[in-house]
Amino acid sequence: MTVLELMERAGIRDTNLAISWIKDAIHYIESTQQENLKVRKLDITKNQREYDLPADLISINSISVLDTEDDSKYKKIRRISGEHYITEDKNP
Amino acid sequence: MSYDTSANYFWRMNGQKVQLYRYRKNSFLTPDVSGRINADDNELIYPDETISEGLRVEYNAFVKPFVDTDPNSLDTDSSETSWTNPSLTEVTSPEETSHINLNRMLSLACVCFVQSQNAAKEGNIQLKEYYMKEFYKKLADNESNKRKISIAFASPVSSVR
Repeated sequence: MTVLELMERAGIRDTNLAISWIKDAIHYIESTQQENLKVRKLDITKNQREYDLPADLISINSISVLDTEDDSKYKKIRRISGEHYITEDKNP
Repeated sequence: MSYDTSANYFWRMNGQKVQLYRYRKNSFLTPDVSGRINADDNELIYPDETISEGLRVEYNAFVKPFVDTDPNSLDTDSSETSWTNPSLTEVTSPEETSHINLNRMLSLACVCFVQSQNAAKEGNIQLKEYYMKEFYKKLADNESNKRKISIAFASPVSSVR
């Protein structure tokens, strides 16, 4: 469907406004459904716990860590929440 | 060498960053966040080794939201076994002739979303809610299109036929 067809169906005349709303709609769709999954890989560095997430991320589907002992498979890891005893770890 | 990573690693979000922790079994007791001695002798530590390309993030993203050709029509369709999908080039500055890179059902959902935003702009909240309901209905239809399930019920012996 073209932008023009959508504008005609919705009865909108302002193209820029229509495109902005279409982008919002796509954002909603990507937030709730798995339409376009992307994968990025990062190096894990010793003693470093924070890693940048990609700027184009809308929602996380899974996070995995490479298991080098098991034929180099990426295994999904679990999410934690709440308080932790460790505040900084300089010598893990 | 990383091992059993699904059991030994954990993550949590911190703004636009992901925090990674490794689980370690201790041989001594540690106080918890309230200062009480915890009988649980496990703790979370920072990653204690470097792993090249060790962290894999799978996520939803904007992937070519606007393209130059219709994504819902085949490029060639000569037989059951011979067909090609169109090659889509992203349009970075979309215009009226640009195509929305969604299937037909999600494109129709976009129409409802745009109608709802337009209704909100005109101050008609009731109409806005109606179109948003239609929007979510089409998202649900799109999901159920991917999961076709047939359910068969045995008819009772005494039922009238």
